[in-house]
Amino acid sequence: MRRRSWLKLGIGAAAVLAIGGGAVALLGPGWQRGRLAPAGRTVFTHVGRALLEGSLPANPAEQAAALDGLLDRVDALVAALPPHAQQELSQLLSLLATSAGRRALAGLAQDWPVAPLAGIQQGLQSMRISSLSLRRQAYQALHDITGAAYFSDRGTWPQLGYPGPMDI
Amino acid sequence: MSRLPDPIREGLARGWRVAGGPHGAVPDRLACDVAIVGSGAGAGISAEILTRAGLKVLLVEEGPLKTSSDFRQLESEAYPSLYQESAARKTSDKAITILQGRCVGGSTTVNWTSSFRTPAATLDHWQRHFGLQRFGNDELAPFFEQAERRLSIGPWLLPPNENNALLRRGAARLGIATAAIQRNVKGCWNLGSCGLGCPTNAKQSMLVTTIPWALDHGAHLLVETRAERLELANGRVTALVCVPASGEGPATRITARHYVLAAGAINSPAVLLRSQAPDPHGRLGQRTFLHPVVLSAAHFDGKVEGWRGAPQTLYSDHFLETQPIDGPIGYKLEAPPVHPVIFATTVTGYGREHADLMRQFPNTHVLIALLRDGFHEQSPGGSVRLRGDGSPQLDYPLTDFVMEGARRALLSMMEIQFAAGARRVLPVHELARPYLDWNEARRAVAALPMKPLLAKIVSAHVMGGCGLAGDPALGVVRPDGVHWQLQNLSVHDGSLFPTSVGANPQLSIYGIVNRLAQDLARRMGGRDAILA
Repeated sequence: MRRRSWLKLGIGAAAVLAIGGGAVALLGPGWQRGRLAPAGRTVFTHVGRALLEGSLPANPAEQAAALDGLLDRVDALVAALPPHAQQELSQLLSLLATSAGRRALAGLAQDWPVAPLAGIQQGLQSMRISSLSLRRQAYQALHDITGAAYFSDRGTWPQLGYPGPMDI
Repeated sequence: MSRLPDPIREGLARGWRVAGGPHGAVPDRLACDVAIVGSGAGAGISAEILTRAGLKVLLVEEGPLKTSSDFRQLESEAYPSLYQESAARKTSDKAITILQGRCVGGSTTVNWTSSFRTPAATLDHWQRHFGLQRFGNDELAPFFEQAERRLSIGPWLLPPNENNALLRRGAARLGIATAAIQRNVKGCWNLGSCGLGCPTNAKQSMLVTTIPWALDHGAHLLVETRAERLELANGRVTALVCVPASGEGPATRITARHYVLAAGAINSPAVLLRSQAPDPHGRLGQRTFLHPVVLSAAHFDGKVEGWRGAPQTLYSDHFLETQPIDGPIGYKLEAPPVHPVIFATTVTGYGREHADLMRQFPNTHVLIALLRDGFHEQSPGGSVRLRGDGSPQLDYPLTDFVMEGARRALLSMMEIQFAAGARRVLPVHELARPYLDWNEARRAVAALPMKPLLAKIVSAHVMGGCGLAGDPALGVVRPDGVHWQLQNLSVHDGSLFPTSVGANPQLSIYGIVNRLAQDLARRMGGRDAILA
């Protein structure tokens, strides 16, 4: 995202956090030491559930395993991005993991683990069609990273009817 | 893994001079006649011509040397290892995703083989508006012919895959002409995974043609090595400073009689910007063009399997040729390959709606429209600038002029898909949904807000930023490719083009650079050399 926009968002989020009794210094990064930090894992787990509803296995144990696999592949995908993109994504995830940032960006009142699926999807939809390009950027980043990481796994291909590479 | 012969590994075993990354440390200092930054279309052609002329050539590539043995046709491996920014390079507002190669062979290693000469109408425009009198169709023809012979560019004789055949069938029902695309392949297996690296070495990319030839004849290749900046003094380049792409290790200082930038139309301007190259007319990095692409997906009752078979074999220039080049923006229509990751990220929506689209994957047909940017004053393209860390980014404002073209393009593609018998059609836009008939689709798309980050826009053709011009006020380089202010520096890649090409640009780069490189070799006292 544009550096200027991020600064603006940073200031706005800082104000919200200050009012809420938090402090920017308490924001944990979303991406740290080459993999998703706890903040990033929380966001991607629940965003993944919402974006991939209908593609993920319905059985709870299988779904949990599929989401774990998704997070591993997000790690690999993000590790291959250039530093500027990793940094932007880290900021996005850290904001989404705070209550103020989650409300401001995703319009989601409840915390990720307790929010109902439909609530998270509503939040994503509000980002997707927002008049603020920053929120649309955030939605597309989550959409594209989740979709790429999930469907890069050959275990998802049978449901797509995709046979995979030809042996040569 | 491919069990076929791997000519690159065989070359390495023969003793090719390759350093960097796993191929060993790069010396602190190197000297050559010509230092070339990049190893894609322009770099490869330049390397072969200059080596043929008897000059000592050194190529510097930021990406890795991957070979057919590495090409396992997997998106999860190809995007991170072969593409700029892991195939997720974006314009600064994130509204356009840019696919560009970053490996030995550059974009030619991962492109879809479509080969078009520069359209005559484009050359006419350059002659009229940019003082490029020597860029006539007839004058360039021999240079295109040589490139076509050298790279086995010719007609594709197998039947098109269903994805392409549907373009032809739908267009024919509407009286819209389509034609065959020439491809640069030899012994193609019709696999459909060109974008993931060709595992059979059938694609005649720079990776398997010019670069091996140059290496066999004494050229030197540095890989996983980033061209950081040029040192300048008295209107000349005095050295090229490179660093390991990993960021760890000592710098290398390369001295040469002449330097060639061929790093692509984002990275070539970036090297000049980092070098604080003279830019008295404010042209450097300006007028960067993308052929912004919009997409339409359609579901058919029958299987399409767009991942299978030669990816792009038919096209239509109807919406370029039926209107003036400098009027409302026109567009070229093609049918791209689809694979799971690229499809999942491109197709809009989430949850059950997205899952439903993914399940329709084998029956999905995709069309793309490439908008011909740069010919109208309201289509000035974008500009390359540097981030704080020195990496380049492209600002590309999607003007209303461009976005209205995108709307017309979506309409044209949907109409063709319905004419071909589509059951439902989804223009790729966040506010669109699959439409069941052409009238409903037409009304809906006429009302869509055509805004960035709502309409999905992608690009695989970055052009301009170091434009050719006959007048220093109009461009960055002279008609012979030499920088207007730096006498021993040339630009030999898609950055040269003063507008977009209006066609997939690889053959435009091959043909035009072929001429520039022959002229350069002659001026440097080399033997006369042609490609084929």
